[in-house]
Amino acid sequence: MNRSPKKDTSSWRAITESKLFFPLLALTLILLVDLFFVPGFFKLETKEGHLYGNLIDILRNGSTVMLLAIGMTLVIATGGVDLSVGAVMAIAASVAAIMMNPVIIGVKLPPDLLKFINDPNFTYAPLWEVIVVTLFVATICGLWNGFLVAYAKIQPMVATLILMIAGRGIAQLITNGVRIQIFYEPYAFIGSGWLILPFSLYIVAAVYLIAWFLTRKTAIGLFIESVGINARSSFFSGIDEKKIKLLAYTFCGFCAGVAGLVTSSNIRTSDANNIGLNYELDAILAVVIGGTLMSGGRFSLLASLIGALVIQATTTSMYALGVPANAVLAIKGLVVIFVILLYSEQVRGIIRRLTAHKGSLS
Amino acid sequence: MMSRIGAFIARNRRFVPMSVTAILSVVAYILGAIFYPGMRDPQVFLNLFRTTPFLLISAVGMNLVILTGGIDLSVSGVVALTTVAAAALLRQGWNAWVVMGLMLLMGMALGAIMGAFITYLKVQPFIATLAGMWFARGLCFFISDDAIAIDNPIYCLLGQTKILIPGLSDPKTQTGPFISILVIVALLVLGVATYLAHYTRFGRAIYAIGGNEQSARLMGLPVERTKVAVYTLNGFCSALAGIVLSIYVSSGHGLYARGFELTVIAAVVMGGTMLTGGEGYVFGALFGVLITGVTQTLIQFNGRLSSWWTNIVVGMLTLIFIGVQSLLAAQKGRRAAKAGDAALQAQRRRRLVLYGGVAGLVIIAGVVISLIAGQTRNGGVGNTPTPSTAACQFRPFRDQEAAKLATEGAVLVYERNGGPDCIDELFAIYPDGRVVGDNGVRTIEKQLAPEEVETLLGNIAERGWFTDEIYNTWHTPCGQCFEYHITVKYQGQEKSVTAVDGGTDAPADYWQVVSLINGVIPKFMDVP
Amino acid sequence: MEDSGYIVEMRGIRKEFPGVQALADINFFLKRGEIHALVGENGAGKSTLIKVLTGAERPDAGVIILDGEEVTVKSPLHAQKLGISTVYQEINLCPNLTVAENILIGREPMRRGRIHWKAMNDHAQQLLERLDISIDVTQLLGSYSVAIQQMVAIARALEITSAKVLILDEPTSSLDVHETAQLFNVMRKLKSEGVAIIFITHFLDQVYEISDRITVLRNGQWMGTYETSELPRLELIAKMIGRSLTELDEMSKIKLESRKNIKGEVLLEARNLGLSGAIEPFDLDLHAGEVVGFAGLLGSGRTEISHLLFGVAKPDSGTLKLNQEIVKKFSPQASIGRGVALCPEDRKAAGIVDELTIRENIILALQAGRGWFKYLSLQQQYEMADRYIKLLNIATPSADQPVKNLSGGNQQKVILARWLATNPQLLILDEPTRGIDVGAKAEIQKLVLSLAEEGKSCVFISSELEEVLRTSHRIAVLRDRKKVTEFAGEVDEHTIIQAMAGGEA
Repeated sequence: MNRSPKKDTSSWRAITESKLFFPLLALTLILLVDLFFVPGFFKLETKEGHLYGNLIDILRNGSTVMLLAIGMTLVIATGGVDLSVGAVMAIAASVAAIMMNPVIIGVKLPPDLLKFINDPNFTYAPLWEVIVVTLFVATICGLWNGFLVAYAKIQPMVATLILMIAGRGIAQLITNGVRIQIFYEPYAFIGSGWLILPFSLYIVAAVYLIAWFLTRKTAIGLFIESVGINARSSFFSGIDEKKIKLLAYTFCGFCAGVAGLVTSSNIRTSDANNIGLNYELDAILAVVIGGTLMSGGRFSLLASLIGALVIQATTTSMYALGVPANAVLAIKGLVVIFVILLYSEQVRGIIRRLTAHKGSLS
Repeated sequence: MMSRIGAFIARNRRFVPMSVTAILSVVAYILGAIFYPGMRDPQVFLNLFRTTPFLLISAVGMNLVILTGGIDLSVSGVVALTTVAAAALLRQGWNAWVVMGLMLLMGMALGAIMGAFITYLKVQPFIATLAGMWFARGLCFFISDDAIAIDNPIYCLLGQTKILIPGLSDPKTQTGPFISILVIVALLVLGVATYLAHYTRFGRAIYAIGGNEQSARLMGLPVERTKVAVYTLNGFCSALAGIVLSIYVSSGHGLYARGFELTVIAAVVMGGTMLTGGEGYVFGALFGVLITGVTQTLIQFNGRLSSWWTNIVVGMLTLIFIGVQSLLAAQKGRRAAKAGDAALQAQRRRRLVLYGGVAGLVIIAGVVISLIAGQTRNGGVGNTPTPSTAACQFRPFRDQEAAKLATEGAVLVYERNGGPDCIDELFAIYPDGRVVGDNGVRTIEKQLAPEEVETLLGNIAERGWFTDEIYNTWHTPCGQCFEYHITVKYQGQEKSVTAVDGGTDAPADYWQVVSLINGVIPKFMDVP
Repeated sequence: MEDSGYIVEMRGIRKEFPGVQALADINFFLKRGEIHALVGENGAGKSTLIKVLTGAERPDAGVIILDGEEVTVKSPLHAQKLGISTVYQEINLCPNLTVAENILIGREPMRRGRIHWKAMNDHAQQLLERLDISIDVTQLLGSYSVAIQQMVAIARALEITSAKVLILDEPTSSLDVHETAQLFNVMRKLKSEGVAIIFITHFLDQVYEISDRITVLRNGQWMGTYETSELPRLELIAKMIGRSLTELDEMSKIKLESRKNIKGEVLLEARNLGLSGAIEPFDLDLHAGEVVGFAGLLGSGRTEISHLLFGVAKPDSGTLKLNQEIVKKFSPQASIGRGVALCPEDRKAAGIVDELTIRENIILALQAGRGWFKYLSLQQQYEMADRYIKLLNIATPSADQPVKNLSGGNQQKVILARWLATNPQLLILDEPTRGIDVGAKAEIQKLVLSLAEEGKSCVFISSELEEVLRTSHRIAVLRDRKKVTEFAGEVDEHTIIQAMAGGEA
């Protein structure tokens, strides 16, 4: 009985062909560079029960992209892309901020409450309500995208571009263009709190578990991959492509909502113009580094998370190496090209020819 | 009658999207002129062109790329890089024409490299140009972290020469409606591109590739060469747009043109070009730009809507256009082979008119509503709240203090707020030549000659400070951007105007004024 | 050099692909100014031969002589320069350009450095008039019907060089009767101008209507070239499916198997079911425990019927009843829920999901029927996969091999396994044994019969007549998108082939 794959291929092959290999390799390389060129990079210390260090920084600063990458993985696996995640983050942040402090949109507070407006314990709406409504709104955004792509059959890039442009305007609309400061402490805990490790990491873990459960413990993951690889064969096999795509985009919206909560609580502001700016690109890059093809198909959530870490580690390492802040962007551009080429068929073909294997690849 | 209109439209279906935009811009402008008397001034109409030459140039180049079925997200990066690089070279004293030529070559080189990646290494255009954008913008900061002012006579000449409209203006007194040289350049680019697209084999190959790349190859067209050429051409246009922008704002900064690529794509889409490639007219870019300009003008004249409403309106318009485009495309797909039936044709024609009509109505309704229902929102002028950024806490504006300074005799009050270190600098210039600056921590002073102050004020007035040309704009500043509040008193007039840098909505001459002022005030050395 | 009268001579052409002999010593001669039909079933080698002639493939051996001179055709563009033009089934033009542009793009007339549109439009108009077509050449190509688009493609093909040879690959597949007649007029006109035409088609009626000579290919072998007027239909079909006339005569009547459960309840009832452009309205009854075979040439409507029965296509006439209930929802998902399964003909595009493993491919349809949340446990999946790997003898080291690594035949087995796993009450098999070795073929035939014994129904579609005969209780014959007749009880190949051929024997 063929219970599990025979280990007739060497373990080396099994490792290199795993989806996690390349991202982990990239991460290791970057950390190695840090090991040699940045003394004290790996130092970890505890202060007031919190763990500190560059490694923790990488994890913490990378949580936003990690969250986005989880949702984006599913969308890209169906053969699409979601450019609006940054704008959805902004919308989510605006909704949350407005709910905690609606004075800006003209809600009249009784004068005795008004003086507490900047108090760390004050919030107009209870925290659970803020979170639920925000995530609901973000999910609706994802639903909107999913509808455009799956049912109206608009090209994913075009469909999500609409929300990308209009979404920021909507976020501005919600807060009247004002950058609302957030004082409410419990909310701020989401993004900047600590539970030994940064709290946002636990959120990432939770969302990852939800996604993992949805895709690997149900048939959804299999169907997503099938639709991404060959939509017509999937159709003949009875898979409803429309519903699968709708789900993928909706979940992506949800993840963007969570990311918006984390970010806005981290900087304690809802900044409709700048929150999430260019984050969609990071998310897409993370997914691509994680080995998911932009044409769709097989995906690995864990590999995408590692991809997000690779991006964050690159940024953090560059700062540690003393590269000027704004030059980081240029380096990032080069890294993207390098990675994309590495994964592209043409270049892989060239590499394969140059390093001809002994023994067939089956 | 209806059937004849229907038949006419059906025969010229391909012109419908572009025409809709053109008609809409005209209608919206007419509506605006009805509601706002100020818009009836022909100069306002000409300003539609004066304030958007770089958008038009970029839209033309992008239109060609999109026609091949590709996309170029790098435009904002290349534009920014061009402004910074040019400013830096000019500061070193290079000749303006040499600098401009060099910038164009640089733009073409970047475009060619990306085109090669896309064509030969089969990288998706989206990703390749995205990386290009990051790379180009990143390069800006290798050159300079700050804005670099441009103080070059040729640049000034190019930016400020007024070209009077014959027939409408008075050549003797040199007054009347005018446009700038930059507008001529933009229109020239539009003309050349239109010629390329419709009268050269290169242009027709572009359309063929966008229609069906595989077929184009089988038909023997030079697909690879054309694709690389198109991206190179767009690189040229981006660089040219950057040159025009730097002339317009007399400076260069790596933060300029953020989000520009989206505006350009929106303009192209509204000009009737489909993002899937192969369909649309280069000339449509003009109308896409016009409608963006009309929207901005309407908002400006409304005076009560913040300029970020432009984004929403543009976004919604793009949405509607893309939606209608996709619907039409899906229609086409569905009818597949059997297109010979006359009844079917008629039905399709009717449906087309219906869609076009509905879309048009929705858009007009939207524009009218946003015109009329512009409530007084706090997001308008003068009530900017105190935000905080991740890096530092913004300091509040010192409105009261500024007003006090003005009443106490200052002829010019200048406040600069924001930036990466959240500074707040308040300057006052007095008629006796005294300049006092206060950044909340310390004060500095400088003594100018009274004539210098007089000249400064005169120059500012000449820029149109006290006319409708200079008006308030505001958008949420980027993390590195500054907000400016300037009050000027001159010859009995007093006017305060606010703006934020990092965007492209403020009136051009505002930035000229800022550089004039920056030229004379002392600097706080400890603030980088 | 003596004029042999042939514009194209292909001698001893051989072409091998890994594992497959596509062309074995083919000789093909094309006379000047003749319309020459090239026919053959799947895998006959027609497209490979054309690819060799047009330079898309290089032959491993053999010689091509064009107009008396030996040539090596390096590429399709080179072929065009030599005077060999091809119009493919998928019209390789740009629908977003005007008709005139499509004809002349790349060679537009220029005046003073710019495209001279008027000259181009006039020239295009002339070219089309040569084909007796007069349309507005300034309209977009996409606004015209496929038939017109094809004419434009032909006009372009002829314009490039004064084409000596025009190859038309399945030109009439999307045309109706009227448009086909128009095309034939054009072909006759060209013939009178001395253009030699190679006409590839599977519509036998058309072959007899328009062609002067016919070449038959089968399994990469040349089966003969004949004068159309001298080749009876029966013999043509016999050649195409590999029987000699004498063999047919000598074949004894084969009794179709009579089974015990054949008078089961009516499972499926189709009345006047049809889809315009695909299959004419037909009636069909299926009983539980019965195998109905469909015999017909390629393009006769077999696959279209399977699509209608499985819900891939929606009919525009007639009704379909399953278990006495009228079918309202036509979709694969709904069909699986009703217990109908289709093992499709196009393995690559509609069958395998190549990156997924064997296990995943096998359980795919079953899982789709269960929905998102009733996920089969890994244990169950492996059990199922192992069961079918053994049953169908799928050659693989493990169930976790991606399906793309398997040979074509084994891939076919995986697809078959997928549908068997859904435990359907009606299993439609469209060319289920294509690419499978002889031993396995027999296995599958036995499998089908045993399914029938269990009370299930099968529709068995195949171009191998013998197979259909061996496995079916009844046989329906299709010809040119129409169901022509049914046979039950005693019938022999000869009769069936006659029904497939139609016309005079």
